[in-house]
Amino acid sequence: MPTATFDRRYFDRLMKFKITDKTLEDQCGKMGMSLESISKDEIVVESSPNRPDLLDCVGFARALKNFMHKSKKLTYSLAASKPYLEIGIGKEVGRVRPFISAFVALNVKLDDSSLANLINFSEKFCEGYGRKRRKIAMGMHDLDKVKGSVSYNAYGDESFVPLNEKKESRFSEIIKKNQKGREYGYTIRSGENGYPALKDDVGILSLIPIINSERTRVTTSTRNILVDITGMSQYLINKCADMFAATFMDIGADVRPVMLRQMGKGYMQPGLKKRFIEIELARAEKEIGVRIGFNNIISLANKMGYEAALVGKKIRFGVPEYRMDVIDEQDVVEDIAIAYGYDYIPATSLSSAQQGELNNMSRLSEHFSELMLGLGFDEMVNSYLTNDDTNFSRMRTERDADYCIRLKNPRSDNITIMRTWLLPGLMKNLGMSQHDKMPHNVFELDLAFAVKAESALERYHLAAISSHSRANFNDMKAIVQSISDAMGLGVKFSKYRHSSFIEGRCAKITIAGKEMGFFGELHPETLYNFNIEEPAVAFEMELPFI
Amino acid sequence: MHKYEALVLKALKQSGELSFDGLMEKTGLGRSELLWALENLKQNGSVELESSEKATAKIGDEGKAYSTSGLPEEKLLEKLEKGAVRVSALKSGEEQIGIQWLKKKGLADIKNGMLSLTASGINALGKGIEESGLLRKLAGNPDSYATLYKEHADALRNLMSRKLITVENRRSIERIRITKKGLASAPSVKEASLIDAIDRSIIMGRRWPGKEFKQYNVNVAVESANAARRHPLRRLVGEIKDAYLSMGFQEIHGPAVESAFWVFDSLFMPQDHPARDAQDTFYISNPSTLKLDDAEYVRSMKRAHEAGWHEQWDIDAARQTVLRTHMTSVSARYVRNVIKRMLLKEQLFDMPVKLFSVGRTFRNENVDYKHLADFYQMDGVIIGKELTLSHLFDTLTKIYKRLGVEIRFKPSYFPFVEPGVEYLAYHKASNSWVEMGGAGLIRNEITGIRKKSIQVLAWGAGVERLMLMRDSSIGSIAELYGNSIGWLRKRRMM
Repeated sequence: MPTATFDRRYFDRLMKFKITDKTLEDQCGKMGMSLESISKDEIVVESSPNRPDLLDCVGFARALKNFMHKSKKLTYSLAASKPYLEIGIGKEVGRVRPFISAFVALNVKLDDSSLANLINFSEKFCEGYGRKRRKIAMGMHDLDKVKGSVSYNAYGDESFVPLNEKKESRFSEIIKKNQKGREYGYTIRSGENGYPALKDDVGILSLIPIINSERTRVTTSTRNILVDITGMSQYLINKCADMFAATFMDIGADVRPVMLRQMGKGYMQPGLKKRFIEIELARAEKEIGVRIGFNNIISLANKMGYEAALVGKKIRFGVPEYRMDVIDEQDVVEDIAIAYGYDYIPATSLSSAQQGELNNMSRLSEHFSELMLGLGFDEMVNSYLTNDDTNFSRMRTERDADYCIRLKNPRSDNITIMRTWLLPGLMKNLGMSQHDKMPHNVFELDLAFAVKAESALERYHLAAISSHSRANFNDMKAIVQSISDAMGLGVKFSKYRHSSFIEGRCAKITIAGKEMGFFGELHPETLYNFNIEEPAVAFEMELPFI
Repeated sequence: MHKYEALVLKALKQSGELSFDGLMEKTGLGRSELLWALENLKQNGSVELESSEKATAKIGDEGKAYSTSGLPEEKLLEKLEKGAVRVSALKSGEEQIGIQWLKKKGLADIKNGMLSLTASGINALGKGIEESGLLRKLAGNPDSYATLYKEHADALRNLMSRKLITVENRRSIERIRITKKGLASAPSVKEASLIDAIDRSIIMGRRWPGKEFKQYNVNVAVESANAARRHPLRRLVGEIKDAYLSMGFQEIHGPAVESAFWVFDSLFMPQDHPARDAQDTFYISNPSTLKLDDAEYVRSMKRAHEAGWHEQWDIDAARQTVLRTHMTSVSARYVRNVIKRMLLKEQLFDMPVKLFSVGRTFRNENVDYKHLADFYQMDGVIIGKELTLSHLFDTLTKIYKRLGVEIRFKPSYFPFVEPGVEYLAYHKASNSWVEMGGAGLIRNEITGIRKKSIQVLAWGAGVERLMLMRDSSIGSIAELYGNSIGWLRKRRMM
């Protein structure tokens, strides 16, 4: 879940009324956010990833004011429809970063805190929602420093003075040496399809989505701003332009559209077109499980920033322009439920005439576990993940090594494969128990894994070890036999070779003609490998399906 | 062998034969201790006893007084020697007793209010009263009773009936001899011979009567016995299953090694969702991909993804093998199956269909002594008509109530549910609400049912977190796996 840190004083200024810490915490909870910390300087809020508009202090304040009925800001539309600026889109850029959206914000009055918020918001948004700027990136430029016509295209290895630097650098150098270049250069790979960039008559405004030019840097004295949004989906960057436009409008800027022109065709951004979703009242009520009523639902919708009106038997919801996440009516119903308040939704019992039922394998497992406990074995729970050393080498066997499920991206050598059997885990348990009173009897009943015919095989195994100074083969045979008797397995024994065990002291367990497991006296080297100091006998078998 | 018996045998070994008193002196034992020891030794054939039985008289306090002052009737007899006495002048209790006995024995008689001696009374003067003499003799030697009894049976019986004497039949041991068996066992035994550990021969041979059991020190420190124990995590999983079963849920199982399709795509998680990163999810190199057999469903999810997330959906990414990151993949398979068969009318379902699963899930973590990569999760779904958030809240509240935890709900976001819910559990120790799980109504895109004529309630939560909340003795989740036996033995069950 993304978190955002807001300047407390800036937040208070945006709210325009005093809100206590306690109220703020309550309201955040009700809206589905959580207030991580609050002080006189800072507010840290965790919001859900589908609501990037809440990573913005302006958007956060807007949502709170609506939610608390302190204001009713439901519509964001352009005052003038005439484009303020035109951006030409070249055809080369299609292969590397095809889409751009933009707008102009005039008469912006920025101070340190509002500028910091804009920068933090866009950085956070492009990092998370924008998937490290691959999917979406946003840039701001001092419009008064932009000269002549603006174009967006893929260029060769040109040079400019990047932000915070004094000397010109080539694109290729920036990608290698500049910190932002190293971080986001991956989005344009080696540049074989050119470098996406925004350019005016003077030169490069921005190497997209990496770094802007020092020349058009936005500062607190900047009055007019050009905003560009680029990415891999036209729909998403358009929605994103709407979201940022709403923020600029809220801080008092005069937002003007930009004409984007490609191969003769042009379209204006930001769209800021109201989208409407119609829902029957009953549908919303049924899903939430409460009676709401027409009047109330409209007020609840407003609380969440929706316009709402009764149209025939349905309610027409106008989706807030800055919302990226509203796909269809399901999302609207959720917002109504949030506005209604989860705390006020009553609990309604489901009629339940059904019988509960355990899975057969679970029931069978319980019988085996009960037996093992009765035989005096402690139950162990070990990780499904292990490594070759534990699973094979220390057990003195390479059995099944070719058929084990192998992790592609482990973070360490500790876990590289899925366990193929349970005994190694139990051996580790015993190795750690050397200071505990004897005898040591342990068992585990759980899954072991293998690959078979390009699919994963998951089988329940039962394994046990008994270790004490007089542990011997026949004791373990007696255990296996008693399990066989109690479960009616008809286990048959025959001589077996398994390198974890002492040769001649190991037997195969056969059930109904099928090899199901083995038992025997563990080889001293196997014991030594796990720091087990007393003799031990063990068995492992696949659970037969009865 | 009891120490008293040992003492007796030791003394007899030196002297061979001793009187009872001699043995008392040698052993230093009291009368009753010695008698007890001899009885035991005789039983097991270590000694032979030569004993005799004797009656002895024991004189009570009243009798003792009379033995010096004389019986009341004797005193009165002497008084009457001087002549008849007026009865009204004899008022004391003793004189009254004297009158009774003189009359009873025919030694005196009352005529015209005067007590006077009869002929036998005059005859008795000088000889005294028989009983008084006996009393004096018995006071001197109680053992003389048997001899006296031969001639004075009636008088002694009279004394007994007047409760002036009591008679005991005392068997007395005269001589004690050690046997061969006694000699053999005597010197080797230094210790007392109380019964220590009992065995079959003691029980079935009834060896305990008359013997003492060695008494143990109940304060001696001992090591605890070790019951074979269930693992606490398994116990909790069992409790969780019971909670679901009691509410009519059926348990379902599903693969831990699963295609990304069922873990992510079927749950409407965009293909570039951070949770799908190799940072968080384990991918498998062998087998690197798995077959997706439900082609129709795969196609419908492709459409839903492309419409909802505005990016191309790649089936190869969905085929990749991963370790499930939640149990919801198991639910997803069943939800799809149930709804498909419902729609095709292949099977009639008893609505609502309630399913749950508990199992191991995985997250790509740096594994060390404190962090693990596998965890238990539980997941539940209810498929039915007209299901609401309200039903969801009720069901979850009841499940957690059974598990001893109070929960509350808040809005949250998960790609596959709408509305989305997060539920928090109240943690007494810290007086705070702790994140417990996620829930919601599954999106239409996943159920494939427009208009939601059928709804699916779903939720999922970690199990270890519940464990930590309920058992403050467990410090971290990692502590629950790969344990030593000592750790398990120390766990409290409650």
